[in-house]
Amino acid sequence: MAEEYIIAYADKSVLKISGLSVKGMSTTQVEKVLQDKLQTIVRVIGVTGESIEMDVYNADPEKIRRNADGVIDALALAEGITVSDLTKVSCSDKIVPVEWKDIPDKPVSDCLRERWIKRG
Amino acid sequence: MRAFILPTGNEILEGIVLDLDAPELMRQIVAAWPDAEVTRVCPIVDEEDSIFRKICDAAETDPDLIVLIGGSGGGHRFSSTLGKDYTHTALVRYLDEYSAREIYGKNGHMWSKLVCGRKGNTLVINVPGPFEEAKAAMQACLKGMLSGAGVEDISKAMAQAVFEKYPTGAASLA
Repeated sequence: MAEEYIIAYADKSVLKISGLSVKGMSTTQVEKVLQDKLQTIVRVIGVTGESIEMDVYNADPEKIRRNADGVIDALALAEGITVSDLTKVSCSDKIVPVEWKDIPDKPVSDCLRERWIKRG
Repeated sequence: MRAFILPTGNEILEGIVLDLDAPELMRQIVAAWPDAEVTRVCPIVDEEDSIFRKICDAAETDPDLIVLIGGSGGGHRFSSTLGKDYTHTALVRYLDEYSAREIYGKNGHMWSKLVCGRKGNTLVINVPGPFEEAKAAMQACLKGMLSGAGVEDISKAMAQAVFEKYPTGAASLA
């Protein structure tokens, strides 16, 4: 049967908010609160009891960093999240297309095919 | 119709995050088959062996459908702070034959691997954890099942549905 590989050419950054207390969080509510705040698509991709990681699409990372307090204030409105003085926001730069020379020719982790590998 | 829903993820098991996906998937199945019996099992920790065993346990009763939720990306392999994603590897291990689509970002990282296969009478699939993507993938799967589509067509439709949830996904997959 088929195994297909699809590339999504989307601009995204990873927004991480740490120093929180999280219990009983609704991902859809958090996504909505931050989408309203940032005016773009947000997807929660990882949560622990102390942090939340999100994909943010088509956003300017520098603008998010400058507006960190506003992001935290918005997040404080969501159920299941308690912010504190230790809460902080970090946002990665936008992802960049991988260069051919940077594609490894063998697996770099214990699970094959989760990163591009040169063939032939 | 008898179906099992298998949520995965320590954050779900520990109640850090509410499980919104399983109720949505159950709602969709019951809407499609009002006489359905749907079982949502206890969330599974992010370990391949644990997920594999739960698939085997659910399959013992010969259900029509098994759906795994979450753990479909590259996760911890790209970020040490993300959860461990083993759902797709457990599924590939379980299924003798399957159809799979892997969606990658332009940075070469795998965002999601969707696996769809049949073992005996049971259709086995996984859906991504984010609510909108889980909802879309399930809708595509059920639409395919209701129309009598095969594994390959269901797999393709699910990948298309998830791809469309990304901002770049307006274009149809080939």
